[in-house]
Amino acid sequence: MHSQSKRLTLKTTLAVLAGLTFAAGSFSGSAQAQDAPIKVGYTQSRSGPFAAGSQTTQEPNYLLWADMVNKAGGLNVQGKRRMVELVGVDDRSDIETMVRSYEKFMTVDKVDIVLPPWGTGSNFAVAPVANKHGYPMVAPTALSQKLVDMKLPYYFVTLQQPKPMMQALVDMLAANGVKTAAVSYMDDLFGLENIGALEPMLKEKGIQVVDKKSYPLGVKDLSPMLKGMKAANPDAFIGITYPPDNFLITGQAKEIGFAPKVFYTAVGTAFPIYRERMGKSSEGVMGMGSWNPKMSKGAKDYFDAHVALNKKEPDRWASAHAWAALQILQQTVEKVGLDRKAMRDHIAGTEFDTVLGKMRFNGTEEQGVPGMVGQWQNGEFEIVWPPARATAKPVMPKVWN
Amino acid sequence: MNPIIPIVFVAGAALGALPAFEVPFVQSLVLTCLLYAGLAVSWSMFSGPTRYLSLATSAFFGLGAYCTAWGLGKLPWPLIILLGGMAAMVFAFLIGLITLKLRGAYFAVITYGLGELVRHTITHVEKTYFHTVGRVLTEAPSAAVVYWTVLAIAALAAWTYVAFGRSRWGHALRGIGMDEERTATLGVNPMRVKLVGFCLSSWFAGALGAAMAVRWTYIDPHTVFNPFIVFQTVLISMVGGPLTVAGPLVGAVGFSLLSEYLRLSLPYLYMIILGVLLIASVLYLPDGIAGHDWKKHFRRKAQPEQKP
Repeated sequence: MHSQSKRLTLKTTLAVLAGLTFAAGSFSGSAQAQDAPIKVGYTQSRSGPFAAGSQTTQEPNYLLWADMVNKAGGLNVQGKRRMVELVGVDDRSDIETMVRSYEKFMTVDKVDIVLPPWGTGSNFAVAPVANKHGYPMVAPTALSQKLVDMKLPYYFVTLQQPKPMMQALVDMLAANGVKTAAVSYMDDLFGLENIGALEPMLKEKGIQVVDKKSYPLGVKDLSPMLKGMKAANPDAFIGITYPPDNFLITGQAKEIGFAPKVFYTAVGTAFPIYRERMGKSSEGVMGMGSWNPKMSKGAKDYFDAHVALNKKEPDRWASAHAWAALQILQQTVEKVGLDRKAMRDHIAGTEFDTVLGKMRFNGTEEQGVPGMVGQWQNGEFEIVWPPARATAKPVMPKVWN
Repeated sequence: MNPIIPIVFVAGAALGALPAFEVPFVQSLVLTCLLYAGLAVSWSMFSGPTRYLSLATSAFFGLGAYCTAWGLGKLPWPLIILLGGMAAMVFAFLIGLITLKLRGAYFAVITYGLGELVRHTITHVEKTYFHTVGRVLTEAPSAAVVYWTVLAIAALAAWTYVAFGRSRWGHALRGIGMDEERTATLGVNPMRVKLVGFCLSSWFAGALGAAMAVRWTYIDPHTVFNPFIVFQTVLISMVGGPLTVAGPLVGAVGFSLLSEYLRLSLPYLYMIILGVLLIASVLYLPDGIAGHDWKKHFRRKAQPEQKP
């Protein structure tokens, strides 16, 4: 009896597995009704250390875009409606796997469009491959002057680079009478490029750096650093950080009662999960941001569609840059079709209307969207600088509650 | 003549000719197989016979990669590869002096810890003296050159595995793995033998790191001192069986191809399937694929056991 039931479950499992495989097969084949679909190849990190960023900021936008385009009857390619078929695979957060996968998309599958992977290091590896095979790539999550300086003609970045982001922060601090700052940064390319941009700007505005400390990736305790900074009593704390360190810094600063007038933690502060994990402590924290649903009708529509499909909010920084990159690609295809050289030239020389406003490229770098500072106020990440883009005034001082 | 030799030459020629066909994806896939074949064979060279579980492979690989970062554009390519291996060897010598006195889990933990130490040291040196952390490698040799380099290193590793295993050093190393004290009484200096084996195996991981670094345009300590590299190397060697050269080779090719196939065909399920397969192979093939006595299954069928 026992062995029989065991065999039954085994059989059932096999049947379910077979069914799933079949279902998956028929699902991917179902879109080939009229004209051949437009194949869009990409890798995202569904596993490994990049997964949190990839699954917050980037892949949900890809899924949303394909869903919206297909519900509208497909992409309008020179008068013909064609469906979009996403070919997305997991890159395991492994750079070599990304390079290999994109080579497959471009030379074996011969997809029509490629979308970039998540992260600066990943983009460094994949951008030259795309460039070599003549595939235009518009990236939302790459942040490095060195990457911009490579001047790859087929590669574009929609995210603000370190200089404009730091300039916005320093201008905001100066306008609000900040005289002293304590700076902490991560020991990596992101940390060093930002600190390199930040220091001369602070000097120019006469803001004195009273303490400066760096820390390595994967740090588990930053309270000694924060205690030292508390003793220096600065007007502002500037953390060039990203998750999970900005969670750590926020939590430990509250514990030791380090409460400067301005508390800034750069990347990941704009993630909805930051607000959820930090609760009331997130109130008043500033960070890198670009938008929120109050900014415009387009932004509200995007926010609502994202929540409806993905059952989670987009982050208030790079998510919209990912969405803007997709809007740029869509407008390009609708205008010039799928000829990749024509697409590249169109992207390089055109001003686009996006969820973040007008966008245009000067080489790799995007020029239209200025550097911005955001701040959590009553559960929304308000844009507080520059005044032309602000949705609220900055609230100071930061109070822990 | 040994019938294996012509087969090896034909396979080598076929692999070497691959870049001529201009199939980038196939070439990259073979490159990954060769990379892990080289890493797993060199790991097994020392850890197979001695049963020392070394977790220093990522550190060797990363040191090699940083040699490329520092030397690219200044030194000729073959010299960079050679130096990448040498850097790993020097590091292996230094940590070998201290750690090879240890046994079992202590050795595994300390090699892993020292690997982390190197990663942070490199970060510090880069930040303090070069004012950077990540490095952009733009003057990279072509994909074909990288491929041939990795092929040559992997082939050299396989040849060294066999030649070293047959030498007196290899016998002494196996003796140490079985009973260190008894081997010492036979006139072997265990420390010296272990140090030589450990340094020799480290060269290949360093050279492979030096060769692979240019594939990614940009490297930082986080990507090249990636613990994933050593975990995968150990896994492949264990599943393949580290006691023969065929083990890590079969393991590397099989594992790389299978995981790639599953990743592309079942993008949401492949991790689960891969995990189940690994558990199954650990449970049912404890000596690895190559080390398993496959004939045993057929023998059993021929002579069924008699139950009382």
